[in-house]
Amino acid sequence: MSQTSRLASGGLVDRGRPLSFTFDGARYEGFAGDTLAAALLANGQRLVGRSFKYHRPRGILSAGPEEPNALVELRAGARREPNTKATTIELYDGLAADSQHRWPSLKGDLLAVNSLLSPFLPAGFYYKTFMWPASFWEKVYEPMIRRAAGLGRASGVSDPDHYEKATAHCDVLVIGSGPAGLMAALSAGRAGARVILCEEDFRLGGRCLAEDRRIGDSRASAWAETVERQLAAMPEVRIMRRTAVCGTYDGGAYLALERVNDHLPVPPAHEPRQRLWHIIARQSVLAAGGVERPLVFGGNDKPGVMLAASLRSYVNRFAVAPGQRAVVFANNDDARRTVADLRKAGVAVEALVDPRPDAAKPGDLRLIQGVVTSAKGGRSLEGVEILGGDGKAESIACDLLAMSGGWNPSIQLSNHLGGAPVWDETLAAFLAGPLPAGMQVVGTAAGSLSLADCLRNGGEAGAKAAEACGFTAAPEPVPSVERDSNAVSPLWRVKGSRGKAFVDFQNDVTTKDVELAEREGYRSVEHLKRYTTLGMATDQGRTANVNGLALMAELTRRSIPETGATRFRPPYAPIAIGALAGHHRGKDFRPTRLPPSHQWAEARGAVFVETGMWLRAQWYPLPGEKDWQTSVDREVKQVREAVGVCDVSTLGKIDVQGTDAGAFLDRLYCNTFSTLAVGKARYGLMLREDGLVMDDGTTSRLAQDRFFMTTTTANAAKVMQHMEFCHQVLWPELDVQMVSVSEQWAQFSIAGPRSRDVLQRIVDAPDAIANDAMPYLGVKDLTVLGGIRARLFRISFSGEMAYELSLPARYGDAAIRALMEAGREFGIIPYGTEALGVMRVEKGHVAGNELNGQTTAGDLGLGRMMSSKKDYIGRVMAGRPGLVDPDRPRFTGFKPVNKADRLRAGAHFIAQGAEATAKNDQGFMTSVAHSPILGHWIGLGLLAHATERMGEVVRACDPLRGGEVLVEVCDPVFYDPKGERLHG
Amino acid sequence: MAEAAAARSALEGLHRPGRHGKAEGAPGVTLAELQGIGLASVIVRKGKAAQASEAAKRSFGVDLPETPRRAEGKGIEFLWAGPGQWLALSRDGLSAGELEARLAPVFAGLASVAEQSDGRTVLRIAGPKARDVLAKGLPIDLHPRAFRPGDTALTVAALIGAQIWQVDEVPTYELAVFRGFALSFWHFLTESAAEYGWEIR
Repeated sequence: MSQTSRLASGGLVDRGRPLSFTFDGARYEGFAGDTLAAALLANGQRLVGRSFKYHRPRGILSAGPEEPNALVELRAGARREPNTKATTIELYDGLAADSQHRWPSLKGDLLAVNSLLSPFLPAGFYYKTFMWPASFWEKVYEPMIRRAAGLGRASGVSDPDHYEKATAHCDVLVIGSGPAGLMAALSAGRAGARVILCEEDFRLGGRCLAEDRRIGDSRASAWAETVERQLAAMPEVRIMRRTAVCGTYDGGAYLALERVNDHLPVPPAHEPRQRLWHIIARQSVLAAGGVERPLVFGGNDKPGVMLAASLRSYVNRFAVAPGQRAVVFANNDDARRTVADLRKAGVAVEALVDPRPDAAKPGDLRLIQGVVTSAKGGRSLEGVEILGGDGKAESIACDLLAMSGGWNPSIQLSNHLGGAPVWDETLAAFLAGPLPAGMQVVGTAAGSLSLADCLRNGGEAGAKAAEACGFTAAPEPVPSVERDSNAVSPLWRVKGSRGKAFVDFQNDVTTKDVELAEREGYRSVEHLKRYTTLGMATDQGRTANVNGLALMAELTRRSIPETGATRFRPPYAPIAIGALAGHHRGKDFRPTRLPPSHQWAEARGAVFVETGMWLRAQWYPLPGEKDWQTSVDREVKQVREAVGVCDVSTLGKIDVQGTDAGAFLDRLYCNTFSTLAVGKARYGLMLREDGLVMDDGTTSRLAQDRFFMTTTTANAAKVMQHMEFCHQVLWPELDVQMVSVSEQWAQFSIAGPRSRDVLQRIVDAPDAIANDAMPYLGVKDLTVLGGIRARLFRISFSGEMAYELSLPARYGDAAIRALMEAGREFGIIPYGTEALGVMRVEKGHVAGNELNGQTTAGDLGLGRMMSSKKDYIGRVMAGRPGLVDPDRPRFTGFKPVNKADRLRAGAHFIAQGAEATAKNDQGFMTSVAHSPILGHWIGLGLLAHATERMGEVVRACDPLRGGEVLVEVCDPVFYDPKGERLHG
Repeated sequence: MAEAAAARSALEGLHRPGRHGKAEGAPGVTLAELQGIGLASVIVRKGKAAQASEAAKRSFGVDLPETPRRAEGKGIEFLWAGPGQWLALSRDGLSAGELEARLAPVFAGLASVAEQSDGRTVLRIAGPKARDVLAKGLPIDLHPRAFRPGDTALTVAALIGAQIWQVDEVPTYELAVFRGFALSFWHFLTESAAEYGWEIR
């Protein structure tokens, strides 16, 4: 029999659209408009999960995102999503959910034995018990505890759906679509403001949907529908359903999660599952409503004990009567509404239990002035024990207990930026403290429990927000509503209650745990939270926090404001990592930059490496080459013996112009550029303000007032930023203009003894690049391949005669193909960054490993470059005693004593005979390479007093990877020390 | 050797013409990689702002915009790109380096000109869903009350630096990104447009 607990009529579900779903494999039916929780209750399924620590049977406590108990695994396979709240899952046809955290089944959970062991499982139990041996924690205790505790299981496989991030801008953001939020949106929208209305639920209306009330001439839910239609007709109002605002940030920024397609089994093709919104709002109206507080008494976690207002949601919105015989236990006047609604739904209400001495008798209903001390039953509620104010105890059989301890306004989003909440004695609740700029709080979130106040305040806030954005606005007229009474007297726990009284259901924290925390000194609310886990996990203690801290206040004899509240932090609702990543996952994790020859290199079978965002060819394996070293050795040899080509377009390139361009570069670099002749290139070294080396590269003079500067690939953006800063802040008086032209030019290094031969095949005037016409460090504008404007630099990183050819990027692909074709007869090969690196180590050139932000020009043997004839950035600080200390490690070369030994970068140098300790450390190896020319490994590094130690043998110790190699200190230039090959 | 080597745009051969993404209904946006666009940076020399502006007026009949706007002159557009800086844009299908060669004499001694035609890829996105697509990557407000035809902005799109300007009220937008990022940007754009359906024009 299906939907035994569904009412014959009423509610906001669509009885014409039955939906089929499964829970733990059993098939059920619900209606469109149900949540999973509503559909389960409609089918009489009250047991939904097991608790976190004690594996106690748990049902459905609430009807919203505050739910601590009814957590399920939704969907299966790769789409399985653990810990989803059944109270927020929108039912769809074919939905499959499973209870979690039980074994082997929900009804017969063997781990419920934990509950019997509970005297031995107090707060802090694990920390105290599994202390030794310490090595057991990670391998034995923690895995064991994690198996027994914890909640749902992650799918463990890649999420097949996609997620997005997006930005939205508005004048007024309204958070929550209850009576206050709808009125705010309407008032701001009518004024013409750009309004975004976010509602976490799939249906607008908030409590309008849950209460059997009238607004104006219509039912509250119908009124909400009318307002929704009005809002939808306003072009500048955007209604975002299924969207939870999760965080408040500076500058009117809010984070919101839109569950675009969570209500479908699989998102439609091309649509994301969820979208994470960054909303920028000039003004905001927080109308997030409130959460009803549970009462703390023995057995208050039994399935069948529910929050009273949530019970009204099930009756009024979902047309479900979750039981037959009810008791209502409340400390506030709201209880009358609960009694009335339950009775209308045909539920027999046995009694109203109210601890307040002045509680008024509700009509014909039996009023017991007193408290519920215990809820009885196993997997479902069977009855309650009541202690009257007159001292008389009695039992009442019932299968439903509606409890209400008053309301906690949902002020989380008001607190994310700081403003501590303020305690309100009348409401017995925390209200928002100092608010983020531009935010107003209205409705229940502001402590207004009466419907008339919610409507009025909402309308006023909406109008005020619109006015603050420059619109002429007036609050919407407030429809007439019946008066309501909401008086409350706090009851933080039932004294003399029997059995476990839960404060935090999700974390299984009882009154005893709070008492223990107090006894052991964890009295601050923040300590209480960490020690007991009260207020943690997916519900973030929405039903637990205030009860917990009120209890602590009572135990420590402080007031609640003195005890304080824990700080709310984003996110307000759980956000999947996938939503945070959005488009940026897999290959799109971050943007990739492709140099102009990329497609050619890809077709050639190159192996690529990420250098910053650039994807560069690392080496080009040939068929049959067994490993990278074979390929790299071949590439190096071929360049040194014949010719090779490498795409170096990734170098930073900056066009520097202006009458003061030379003077500017003189101040920027430690060496001089103003004296450079037009048509020449020069190597430059740039220091930071603190005197350490920042970057290096060649700069060429194209005209009297124009330079073409290059930076290392890694530092391109940083150097550009540095130059802009220097110009705008330090020397605005200089006439200099700079702009990045990094991507304008495809740049290829053509290196090797046959490099000129190759180039002469593609330049239109071969004689112009003859050795005499274009010597080392010459720069020429010319044309190639039949008229393409290009620029040739005779510079070398490899130590061979070499050129860099620069041409418009659109011709990069054509150029690499033309160079390969032209070079065929000379044995040309393409080479990658590995061979480039090997050759620079062979030549003892410094690179990123040496320019590590800790080295001076002197350390690197480049002290001679520091001009004494001018001022430049870093000059003064480079003279600090610490930077000119003769004991500083200096750049030098190393070769293994045993030529078969492999060197490793990162190894530290220790004198022979000294112990390998940090105290005896004399420097470290910065770069190593296997030199195919020399036939053994070579290294570059920084060693104390290196210049005086040529030929000395030191230990290169590598404790991290194990092993030690004896190395001989040598000149860092391993190959062609006189540099004869450069000149061809 | 090879005569007139083939130019290749950053996205050449990497996309298929036609309809993509959601197949039903009219496409939400049309996308295009613009070809034959000439670009050059123009940065005013110290103390020469007024003269540079006069030179532009004289040669191209255009006032160099002093706010983030795009100004159209004779055969050229100037997009504000920072105080005293513009991105000059030509749609005349100039050859590589030709825009700099044209502008340099006009601004000689008044502004520094650097060719950028090959440094950027310019994409066009147009259609009823253009704003929704761009909202998935751009943090700026493109609502008609905030951003109109003729407005430009230097911003970031899906972690990629970009300059955007609005062409008309369709709305049509054009975006310039560094050439090396073109394919990553294209991935973002097409993935974001898929739910609305997109077409290459």
